[in-house]
Amino acid sequence: MKLDLDQLRELIRLLDESNLTEIEVEHDDDRIRVRRDPAPVAVTSQAVAPTALVGSTHASGAPEDDDGNYLTSPFVGTFYRAPSPESDSFVEVGDSITPGQVLCIVEAMKLMNEIESEVAGTIVEILVENGKPVEYGDRLFRIETT
Amino acid sequence: MFETILIANRGEIALRVIRTCRELGLRTVAVHSEVDADALHTRLADEAICIGPADPTRSYLHIPAIIAAAEITGADAVHPGYGFLSENPEFAETCAQCGLEFIGPLPEQMRRWGDKVSARALAKSLGLPTIEGTELVEDVEDAVKKAEALGFPVLLKASGGGGGRGMHILQSKEELRAIFETARAESRAAFGNDALYFETFIERPRHIEFQILGDKHGNIQVLGERECSIQRRHQKILEEAPSVALSDEARSDMSATIRRAMGEAGYISAGTLEFLLDDRGELTFLEMNPRIQVEHPVTELVMGVDLVAEQIRIADGQELALPERPLSPRGHAIECRINAEDPDTFAPSPGTITELHMAGGTGVRVDSGVYGGGRVPPNYDPLVAKLIVHAPTRAQAIAKMRRALSETLIGGIRTNIPLHQRILAHPAFEEGRFSTRFLDELQA
Repeated sequence: MKLDLDQLRELIRLLDESNLTEIEVEHDDDRIRVRRDPAPVAVTSQAVAPTALVGSTHASGAPEDDDGNYLTSPFVGTFYRAPSPESDSFVEVGDSITPGQVLCIVEAMKLMNEIESEVAGTIVEILVENGKPVEYGDRLFRIETT
Repeated sequence: MFETILIANRGEIALRVIRTCRELGLRTVAVHSEVDADALHTRLADEAICIGPADPTRSYLHIPAIIAAAEITGADAVHPGYGFLSENPEFAETCAQCGLEFIGPLPEQMRRWGDKVSARALAKSLGLPTIEGTELVEDVEDAVKKAEALGFPVLLKASGGGGGRGMHILQSKEELRAIFETARAESRAAFGNDALYFETFIERPRHIEFQILGDKHGNIQVLGERECSIQRRHQKILEEAPSVALSDEARSDMSATIRRAMGEAGYISAGTLEFLLDDRGELTFLEMNPRIQVEHPVTELVMGVDLVAEQIRIADGQELALPERPLSPRGHAIECRINAEDPDTFAPSPGTITELHMAGGTGVRVDSGVYGGGRVPPNYDPLVAKLIVHAPTRAQAIAKMRRALSETLIGGIRTNIPLHQRILAHPAFEEGRFSTRFLDELQA
């Protein structure tokens, strides 16, 4: 079936802003269903089912600054550079990145939210230390866009 | 006792909670949206966390952001204030699941009292005098049947409504038929819920409410009443305690009834039972607000209590320090809600406060969330300050409030201070002869 990414994003956003746990849309023969774990707080293990969903709901990190070069935190939470303590960091200074690439995780309520880049470019600076708390809107990465 | 309390609110009530926490030696965490980065609650808390953009659904109403803020700051309890998430049982449950004490009633108590139809039935079963009303109506024919059984005039109310929204006074079944579908659509649009029901319409009632506290040990304390009849479109503007319309005997009778009923219900934390007082002096239960109220300071002044401190102690599991004899009000207190709005058109008037001078002197209390140079953002409710006075008699309290209002200067935005001055100068108000229709009649 044809999957319109923008429509999907819109659905996920709707789900996220509502108290619903599931939204299903049917049009002709196409059907899209988005759902989330009804009790996300009970999830304690890392990077489990809801991750991808919640993570992709906030594929934010839109550079907002004048220089247009920062990825900011879409959540308040704890900043992690790697998917687990044993893993390598998602990115290092100097790495080239592409839109949709996961740059870090912000953990909120035991949910690991993967934060993706919306731009292509190079990581110039990592502004938060691994494991530190971040507020909504805090700058996480400085990116030189290409 | 808790060490750190996160205040999931903004404006004057966030400050109100921060002040009590300070006095109790507790650390405070403020949460704020981007537009509130320089707000007073953000500045006065020990720590402040930005939780989202101006849109409250993505900040002050966004449960994951608030819980995450509590987690990263090590808060062990959450005070929800009023409005926002204060009556949201899911929020209270989430707090509990995350190991945070929610300073308020239990989630099931919020559910039970939050639904107006079930709250009325519960109140009735607990022996409280209750306004006559119907079950939820199914369709227009069912509505006509139920309204006729109750007897016109009736009040058509939205089950999900609140703050006076979603209500229609109906004199006849023709009127009901004409408005029913519109009312249902309005309710669906405004509250996401189109359930409607009827209540008996009382022509010129006074709005009287009783403050209670319940602890986790089954004790209930009733802290007298507040008179909140001065309303515009069911929004309270000016409140006082005690009410001139209630005799000492009526107060103590109703206090005893409430104490027994709420003890049986096992209610925990601060709550308010709202009643209508009709012209025959009968009080009928309307609804219960399971939270701290905007107008709580008038009770604090005449009863000599700190209700927020009591809420915190109750959440901590401490027992209420009940006096041997029920407290009776000492003197008279009046509160004026100063809103950022045009005093004539009531249009909101957000903006930057260019200069600010609040009244002072004996018996004057100011609960406010603003400062000179600060902004009143357009995203939230228009309450900028509560001016509260306490004096030995009602006449002295009125004189004190007039004096306090005349000292108050808020530049850069329009406020409803002139409206308060008109109310306080009105002979019917001075004599205590008024109903909830007072302001509509004053405006007319």
